[in-house]
Amino acid sequence: MPAEQPPKLRLCGIGKRFGGNVVAVQSMDLEVIAGEFLCIVGPSGCGKSTVLNMIAGLDQPSDGSIEKDGVLIKGPGADRGVMFQDYALFPWRTVEANIGFGLRYGPRARQISAAERHARVGRLVDTVGLRGSEHKYPHQLSGGMRQRCALARLLANEPDVLLMDEPLAALDAQTRTILQGELLRIWGEVRPVEERRTAIFITHGIDEAVFLADRVVVMSSQPGRVTAIIDIGLPRPRAESVRTDPEFGRLTEEIWSLIRDQAYRAIA
Amino acid sequence: MSARHFRSMVLPVVLVVLWQAWAMTLPAKSAAPSPAHVVKEFGALVSSGALPSATVQSLGRVVLGFVLGAMLGITTGALMGAFRSVHRNLDPIIETFRPVAAIAILPMVILWCGTGLLAAVAIVGYAAFFPLVINTAHGVSHVDRRLVQAALTMGVKPSTILRTVLLPAALPSIFVGARLAMGIAWTAIIAAELAVGAKAGGPGGSGGLGEMMFVDYSYSVDLNGIVVCMIVVGIVSLLIDRGFRAAERRLLAWRL
Amino acid sequence: MRRRRDVPSDPFSGPVDLIAMVPVASRSTQRNHAKQRLRRGIVIVAATAEGTRTTAGLPSRAWRGPYVLPRALVAVRSLLILLVIWQCASLWTGNPLLLPSPVGVVDALVDLLRSGELFDQASVSIARLMISLVVAMVLAIPLGLLMGLLPLVGEIIDPVIELLRPISGIAWIPLALFTFGIGGTLPIFIMSYAAFFPLLFNTIAGVRSVDARLVSAARSMGLRRSAIVLHVVLPASLPSVIVGLRLAIASGWTAIVAAELIGADSGVGFAIEWYRELLMSAKVLAFIVVIGLIGYSANLTITAVHRRLTPWAVTAELR
Repeated sequence: MPAEQPPKLRLCGIGKRFGGNVVAVQSMDLEVIAGEFLCIVGPSGCGKSTVLNMIAGLDQPSDGSIEKDGVLIKGPGADRGVMFQDYALFPWRTVEANIGFGLRYGPRARQISAAERHARVGRLVDTVGLRGSEHKYPHQLSGGMRQRCALARLLANEPDVLLMDEPLAALDAQTRTILQGELLRIWGEVRPVEERRTAIFITHGIDEAVFLADRVVVMSSQPGRVTAIIDIGLPRPRAESVRTDPEFGRLTEEIWSLIRDQAYRAIA
Repeated sequence: MSARHFRSMVLPVVLVVLWQAWAMTLPAKSAAPSPAHVVKEFGALVSSGALPSATVQSLGRVVLGFVLGAMLGITTGALMGAFRSVHRNLDPIIETFRPVAAIAILPMVILWCGTGLLAAVAIVGYAAFFPLVINTAHGVSHVDRRLVQAALTMGVKPSTILRTVLLPAALPSIFVGARLAMGIAWTAIIAAELAVGAKAGGPGGSGGLGEMMFVDYSYSVDLNGIVVCMIVVGIVSLLIDRGFRAAERRLLAWRL
Repeated sequence: MRRRRDVPSDPFSGPVDLIAMVPVASRSTQRNHAKQRLRRGIVIVAATAEGTRTTAGLPSRAWRGPYVLPRALVAVRSLLILLVIWQCASLWTGNPLLLPSPVGVVDALVDLLRSGELFDQASVSIARLMISLVVAMVLAIPLGLLMGLLPLVGEIIDPVIELLRPISGIAWIPLALFTFGIGGTLPIFIMSYAAFFPLLFNTIAGVRSVDARLVSAARSMGLRRSAIVLHVVLPASLPSVIVGLRLAIASGWTAIVAAELIGADSGVGFAIEWYRELLMSAKVLAFIVVIGLIGYSANLTITAVHRRLTPWAVTAELR
């Protein structure tokens, strides 16, 4: 990964305390490279989601600062889109209306005509493979379909940075595997590096992280901090066969060994 | 006819029959109401147009007052639900007035607005306001935070979020409030019409079902007429409730 | 002493608050600083003995929110503002008959207290409320238990109840006027009727919601039917019954004003109408205040009873 260009995101000395005493994250430094797919793994309670919320601007760090393109992050914005674990789709709106929500009410709403919006939503519906279901309501969709809708809604605003908090956790294993591949394709795995969007993906699944990421950040808990950053040198585009690659297994084992003790302690 | 239907009709039918039998044992000049006379009176009142017009008049007042109370209640409730500071400031005032029922402020309202449409709308609006403001505030403040977060991360402004996320998401609660409010409003208007009819003068007064009930009592001692009005009050109340529930089911189909 | 705006422990839980959810730094900071200085002054004056709270470490600059007054103070402030607006409005209309000033109402209240009339009327109404509640409880609770425990009985009686319920207590007033005439019986009848239904429905709901496993457990321990009802069903349905009582009190108190206004010769409802006819608005408002106070106290009392008797089940009401 070329490290000469300025980092897309820079976390400096990030700390987060809750209720005055609970330290969720402590002195975390991280630089996220533009266009990379970064995964964060770690045991429960290590602060992964907290960090994501802070990058998204939904929460404020107790210490330190987060910068994007050199500018301090002060709050949520359309430049950093978020995909939540339970999708957070608006139940009273159809798939189409959900996807188009940001285009309709967001900061760039005035510049987009209704026809243009309709066209963009249509393209996204096709991209995520929901053609035929665009008039349905979230409660009529399966888990996988809801996740695709959430992904489309995330992409509609064309954010610089995609933040995803365990988006595939609630799905069954088969759907998850399929969606992993699709996620990479939609993210732009086949496009040149400069055209890819920066993505930060939180997951519990180590093999998921290794399959998807360019780099994997391993965190540990109590207090939440970065233990290691692992480069994933596997070639892109990632074919399904890469999962049986010996390098894949080695990386998975390396990451697991870093987390293992903490994970055992967490369930003790 | 299933056994269940039969069982559910047994008691009402038995009671009506007993009532009729009791009424027939009374002297012919007795004023006591009987089912047969009630039915006859119902027919008379309907064909004379008195019953339908009184019902429409009462309903019209209720609808107008409800709309007023709803506009105020939902707006205030939405603001209270979305902003804790608004809630903190307004809640004491609302909780102070809540125990004061609409009928209790009727004398003051009569002093201010007379006994016409304005007074009716004011009373009904007051009655409808409270269930709506409380339920709306509750619904809005209990919207899943994640939906708001999702909108924030799409760059939507808080004022827009209030309109496009909080209100739709709170619609189930608002509907419950509306159904309760309408029921309370209907009771309030009947009470108000009764009171005005009782105090402000005889026939040709303010009109409406409540007034008709009182006139039937004081000027013609027509108990059968009173019973007819009571039944109509009950039927309208039931229809309002069922109507709202049906609307809830249809409009809120996205709820699971 | 100083209260910091609650930092949410988890941005995804808790009630919505658009102000807290949009971080401070993206709003006008100048305005906040001014507010902070003002509030600091007020809060120091109204300091309570809460003691200072220490927070571990300094918060980052971006998250320093404006200080918030304690809830009780805000309540008092809101009511004071209301009183001021009222006073101004009454001065502006200048007609004590149309809109008596708060001072005028207080005068009237003192008058009524001194003459003993307030106490007389209020006690009459409260006594009627009590009697009606007793009547309603005696009728509704056993019936509710019966209907809840024996589904057959429930099915037969339910239609009659459903037919009578939409006919509010108020609609019975003319008929009651004919039967009882003006006096004390009419309000009691109307109130009992109004209080009956919420009590009945909540009792039935309470009985139906008793966990069947509790009953099975009791039966397997060899308890007789009557003992099961007494020791398992009743306590388990108690929370619902008390909620029903709360609603009954609210309904009954609303009904009493209407009933006394039209069909009684004593009581607070009668007093309101009496003074309205005499165009003594200050006294009318004074009695309205009394009505509100009694209703509020009744609700407080029953809520306290609720908490003491059934601490394991205090529910939030939406009514």
